Amino acid sequence: MTARSTVEGIRDERSVGRRPEQLPRLEDWIGEVWTRFWFTPADPRPLALIRIATGCLALALWWSYAADLEAWFGSDGMLPSRTRGAWRSPWGGSIFDLATTPTMLRGIYLIGGLVILALLAGLCTPVVSLLAPIFFASILQRGPMLAGPADDVVAVILWCLAIGRCGDAVSLDRLFFAGQAGPQVGSFRNRIAVSLLRVHASLLTIAALLAQLKGDVWWDGTAAWWLAARSADRTIDLTVPLAASLYATNLLTHAITLFEVVFALGVWCVPLRPLIVPLAVVCWPLLGLFAGEPFWGLAMAILALAFREAADRGRGGIL
Amino acid sequence: MLRATLTVLLCLYLVGFALCLAGNSGSGASAVVRTVKSRLFSPWMTPAWLDVGHDVRLTYGQPEDGGHRIEIRPWADLARGRTIVYPTSAIWGERAARWGRLARAIAVGEQDPDREGLLPAAVGVGGFRLVGAEDVSLRVLRQMMPESAVIASGGKGAPRFEQAYAARVRRVAGEIQLLTIEDPAELAPLVPEVAP
Repeated sequence: MTARSTVEGIRDERSVGRRPEQLPRLEDWIGEVWTRFWFTPADPRPLALIRIATGCLALALWWSYAADLEAWFGSDGMLPSRTRGAWRSPWGGSIFDLATTPTMLRGIYLIGGLVILALLAGLCTPVVSLLAPIFFASILQRGPMLAGPADDVVAVILWCLAIGRCGDAVSLDRLFFAGQAGPQVGSFRNRIAVSLLRVHASLLTIAALLAQLKGDVWWDGTAAWWLAARSADRTIDLTVPLAASLYATNLLTHAITLFEVVFALGVWCVPLRPLIVPLAVVCWPLLGLFAGEPFWGLAMAILALAFREAADRGRGGIL
Repeated sequence: MLRATLTVLLCLYLVGFALCLAGNSGSGASAVVRTVKSRLFSPWMTPAWLDVGHDVRLTYGQPEDGGHRIEIRPWADLARGRTIVYPTSAIWGERAARWGRLARAIAVGEQDPDREGLLPAAVGVGGFRLVGAEDVSLRVLRQMMPESAVIASGGKGAPRFEQAYAARVRRVAGEIQLLTIEDPAELAPLVPEVAP
């Protein structure tokens, strides 16, 4: 049964015994929307796409520790345990704390990489989808001052993937164990995972937007200049055209703010999604590249993919 | 029953997540948000790296928003000794960004009394092996962001750096000493004595 037919089924059940002129009660409507949003069985394919994209990104973030692993986390490294304690919350913990020798450190690190690789390939997904966020949170907890915005977003996505059945499609599990797995069916776990990703996409954008709007440069329109000028080794160098035109700088700054507002709120309007989701998939990486946080831009684009669903086509309304 | 349980868990998580956003905003948090978050949510959301503010400000146009780098040199031979710079031009991408965050954390962390001196001392000690000396100069350099008028007038040259933090880190009789070096530009100017 598809997600759409299930929703229609719920509507049909509710309408039995109700006079046609009678409007649905508010609590019935809220209950129906809540059930549809969180519990309607969902196709595993969108979640599989997010799993693959997140796996690639998590692997790149994992790899960024490789060359300096011992320089940072080694026994005579730059971030020994007493320093880490002052930076980390008392509730924080890391499996890297168990590493007392360089071999153990490299071993734990390598196992973590294999777990992320297995998640990417969809191998033993029920297990590795749970281990991947544990490992990822562990490496961030080991050196909290090294973590960036992309790490924060990827950690959220990995936990959401652990809730859903992200290995039910486009995975080695599917390839090897298709006989035992049976036909590819939707699951309410997939719906919860996708809905959580959607809520996070909106909340994280609002959090970033609110943080930005505390700075004067986002109001006086010069933020784009300061983003362009902040580092010498930027990938996209717009300093010359932006320095030549104040209006261009202002327009780019306001365009960034407008895009974030449109994404955070507009994406909940189902008829607008075919426009906003492709726009977000292109604009988030561009914004990340321009702001010197390319992986953060990619992570936000992955979150935007959670709004791409065939069941939404032709549907009106919100959520 | 399962749906009701999941609804309660989802509501609980979303409230916790919203409190984490509000409690890690970089602008401080109210006592009630801080207390509720730390008692009910931090114990299980912090280990999962979910107790995060996600306040990606991108830029405020402040000097602190410029790129940061670490420079370690042997104190005894500042001019000719082996100098280590992180990130170097050969380091790029997220690896360079992590070094930049570490450098920024050294400079910014000095304003926090609970963390003052801890990170520079640790990074300095980590640099002993790299430069082959147990008495080193540790500096955090911050790239100065040019004004748009300078670029518009064709004044784009090599990037300029300013000193965001400097210290001497050394091991004396097995004990680590951190001697902070004040930036001369930040010291109070000497006022010449004026005859009455």
